[in-house]
Amino acid sequence: MSETDKTTCFEPWNEVGKKPLIEFRGVSKKFGALTAIDNVSFNIYEREFFALLGPSGCGKTTLMRMLGGFETPSQGQIFIDGKDISTIPANQRSVNMMFQSYALFPHLTVADNIAFGLKRSDMPKSEIAGRVDEMIKLVQLGNLGGRKPHQISGGQRQRVALARSLAKAPKLLLLDEPLGALDKKLRQETQFELVDIQEKLGTTFVIVTHDQEEAMTVSSRIGIMDQGKLIQIDTPDRIYEAPNSVRVADFIGDVNLIEGNATTTADDKVIISWAEGQPTLTAQTTTNITDGAKVTFAIRPEKIAMTTDKPTDASNAIEGHIHDIAYLGNVSIYKVRLSSGHMIKAQAANTRRLSRRNYTWEDKVWLSWTDTAGIVLTK
Amino acid sequence: MKKIMLSLMASLMVSTSVASAAEVRVYNWSDYIDEDLIEKFEAETGDKLIYDVFDTNELLETKLLAGSSGYDVVVPSASFMERQIKIGVFQKLDYSQLPNGKNLWDLIKQRTAKYDPDNAYSINYMWGTTGIGVNIAKVKEVLGDDAPIDSLALIFDPKNMEKLSACGVHLLDAPGEMIPAALQYIGEFADSKDPEVIKKTEAVFEAIRPYVTKFHSSEYVNALANGDICVAFGYSGDILQARDRADEADNGVEIAYNAAKEGAVMWFDQMAIPADAPNPEGAHKFLNFMMDANNMAAASNYVYYANGNLASQEFLEDDITGDTAIYPTEATLKNLFTTTAYGSKEQRTVTRLWTKIKSGT
Amino acid sequence: MNFRKYLLILIPYTWLLLLFLVPFIIVVKMSLSDTEMAIPPYYPYFTLSEGWQGIVNFFSELDFENYVFLAEDNLYWKAYLSSLKIALISTAFTLLIGYPIAYGMANAPPEWRPTLMMIIILPFWTSFLIRIYAWMGILSQEGFLNQFLLWTGIIDQPLTILNTNIAVYIGIVYTYLPFMILPIYASLEKLDISLLEAAKDLGCNRSQSFWLVTMPLSKAGVIAGCFLVFIPVLGEFVIPDLLGGADTLMIGTILWQEFFANRDWPVASAVAVVLLLLLMIPIILFQRSEQKQREAEQ
Repeated sequence: MSETDKTTCFEPWNEVGKKPLIEFRGVSKKFGALTAIDNVSFNIYEREFFALLGPSGCGKTTLMRMLGGFETPSQGQIFIDGKDISTIPANQRSVNMMFQSYALFPHLTVADNIAFGLKRSDMPKSEIAGRVDEMIKLVQLGNLGGRKPHQISGGQRQRVALARSLAKAPKLLLLDEPLGALDKKLRQETQFELVDIQEKLGTTFVIVTHDQEEAMTVSSRIGIMDQGKLIQIDTPDRIYEAPNSVRVADFIGDVNLIEGNATTTADDKVIISWAEGQPTLTAQTTTNITDGAKVTFAIRPEKIAMTTDKPTDASNAIEGHIHDIAYLGNVSIYKVRLSSGHMIKAQAANTRRLSRRNYTWEDKVWLSWTDTAGIVLTK
Repeated sequence: MKKIMLSLMASLMVSTSVASAAEVRVYNWSDYIDEDLIEKFEAETGDKLIYDVFDTNELLETKLLAGSSGYDVVVPSASFMERQIKIGVFQKLDYSQLPNGKNLWDLIKQRTAKYDPDNAYSINYMWGTTGIGVNIAKVKEVLGDDAPIDSLALIFDPKNMEKLSACGVHLLDAPGEMIPAALQYIGEFADSKDPEVIKKTEAVFEAIRPYVTKFHSSEYVNALANGDICVAFGYSGDILQARDRADEADNGVEIAYNAAKEGAVMWFDQMAIPADAPNPEGAHKFLNFMMDANNMAAASNYVYYANGNLASQEFLEDDITGDTAIYPTEATLKNLFTTTAYGSKEQRTVTRLWTKIKSGT
Repeated sequence: MNFRKYLLILIPYTWLLLLFLVPFIIVVKMSLSDTEMAIPPYYPYFTLSEGWQGIVNFFSELDFENYVFLAEDNLYWKAYLSSLKIALISTAFTLLIGYPIAYGMANAPPEWRPTLMMIIILPFWTSFLIRIYAWMGILSQEGFLNQFLLWTGIIDQPLTILNTNIAVYIGIVYTYLPFMILPIYASLEKLDISLLEAAKDLGCNRSQSFWLVTMPLSKAGVIAGCFLVFIPVLGEFVIPDLLGGADTLMIGTILWQEFFANRDWPVASAVAVVLLLLLMIPIILFQRSEQKQREAEQ
């Protein structure tokens, strides 16, 4: 499965006239004096794997719980399939949720947990056992159907929870930090499985997570939330490569943020003067920037090249000393101190063994990048 | 019941602490003394007086039979004391230590000698009768002005009881009092120990059972005083206490006590010293103190029971000596009879019969 | 290491031995003796002074006569049955009243819960006897309840409640309610709220999620509460004595009567032994369910 293939062939949000499965229209939610959700409007389309990403307390869980019917909006409307969901009680929506704590019924076996929702539906009794088996196979639970939740591992419980929430074949599945309780290796494996299952079933998934890597891995689009607002909705690559604000850039991955004053040129370029005694930076931009505006230049550490000698052909080159090195195995992060006091992070792949490393502490280095490597942000 | 619990607890404390020579431990009925006398005794003798209370003979007896009660003076009823003396529960009194013994009333001594020959083991503390207490107004309202308030027929005639049940009747939960009264009512020998004779009372009680509000040995005091019930068959002093409480409360309840004209049980509460008393000398001191004319009069003035102390009578208040419910007239006195304790087997028969009467099982 | 381990186990076992087993053996021994008017009022006694022969004599005097007696008189099994009935009915009522209270407490805002808990425990601060006496004041003919009902005009004649079995049930349910509420509350409070949300999410309405999730998950609390009420009520003596009428037949009252009125310590002991055996059945069941619960939680 490849991320790029998916984004090129599946982009319902770009299709004109495509009807969304879910539509938030000016939704706000207040808890007393606290505004948890602040005037949010966006759409989620059928078969999407939509991630709501943000720091804890940003309102992403509240947003999802409104979809599940556990909270009601203070203002605005939410539509599923064009119907205002405030008219449908939670237990009659074709929406199911996988809870962060899994919320498995401890007194019921795995099979009974999975069958729980089916028994409440109008599915004939004779078909329920078959459907449960199908679900157990889907999440690869083998012969654990007769066990109680406390008799299986955390990873297996996560699968039971997933199977249970999918058993009723909902139009929309909500996943609240579904992998949060798993260790990192298991989490990564499960992320891919989750994507496989979602593609196989074609169910629309909405996942809430604070783990950006998880969001990037599984989702077709990510909605970044901060303080009750959706600050950017875009595909994972766009979110990473083209954040629309300092906050998004800062939240997703590692980034160097350099504040300065912009001077526009005729050919869509911006010249940024940012510190006394430092060369100006040149960057390409598509956004309209007025002359002399305050801007932030954002550049990812891996986009910065590091050389001992000054590169001759680079659009941007600055000089500094290596202040610190963080060895991460496959890559190393170099913190380079400039004469102006700024600290710039650069990343280099460790293609050579550590003992043969080129750079070490206090080495004088040149940092360089092309004029398309970074992005100029005004927000 | 609360009193039982309290006294159980108190006696537990007694038996766990070591008695010292300067302590006198007395176990008496609840509400049965002027408490000022306790301080007076301590002041006069310098001994410490520990005073605990009980409210059934059965409880006292159980404690005495278990042994090592730790008490120096106990106050059983004469009928219970009789058998207790026989199995050696008490020690003989040393009358040389009891100079105030001269104050005792021969009339009462003669009667108590039936239980304790020569009064060798006990002296009388107080005595009284078992009879009928009525809320005059309510009973007259139900039965008319000629209601037989001084007759056993009031409680044993189903026709009366049927009407009285509307305003409430309490009988003593004490077969030893109730069965002799029933026997007296049907003209049998009241103190009979013959099981066949005793069984005859079953029919008497069965006929009135549906109309009895409760069988209980102490609740009637409050119930009568509050006007919750209109008739109680109980102990003279208790009913007089209810009368006084009603007077104090000024609630319009007027209570009268009568020993039944057919004949009533006369009972005696006797002071005696257990054989294993830790401080028999102190016990004698206490008995002598209580036999003082002034002290005994103070006790009677407080609890409204007659005592067996002739010399105390000049110090009694007029409303006690003048009340025929407390000090009966010569004629009534002749009509009073005494009962004796049941043997083990008879006791079981009587208890079983009583349970059957009460619960129908 | 081993020694310390044994010492730790030894302490509770010594406790059990001294405070349960030894008294129980004494009671069993007494139940096999004969009543006698003496100090103490039964025979034989155990004396070591007569040596081996004394011990042989002692055991040869013991017999099951008193148990035969209990079996022959219908009073006793009727009293046991009546106690069982009263205990079962009052346990059921305590559950019916206690469960909603515990449920309400567990669903109250967290800041209220300590206060509510306090209200439940508060009666324990007053003597149990005084509270029962207060009920006598409430239930009597001239009591608050009758006065109130007369005042509202619901009744025009005072109701006779005191000294009937109804008063006994009221007294028992009132007294033992906290013992029902507290374990149920403890199990309901532990209940993960997301389980109820999951039930709702999977299509349950309120009553379905109660019966399918809340109820089964509070089962342990319900069982504990029922036993905590049932076991002591079976042998209850004070409440039937004070609030009940003459026809309130309970084994606790019979026991008192045998001991105090009949002075028949051996028969009283036999009644107590049979009561204990009867109580063992629910206690063993209770232990089993506790054990199952523990295993389930591992």
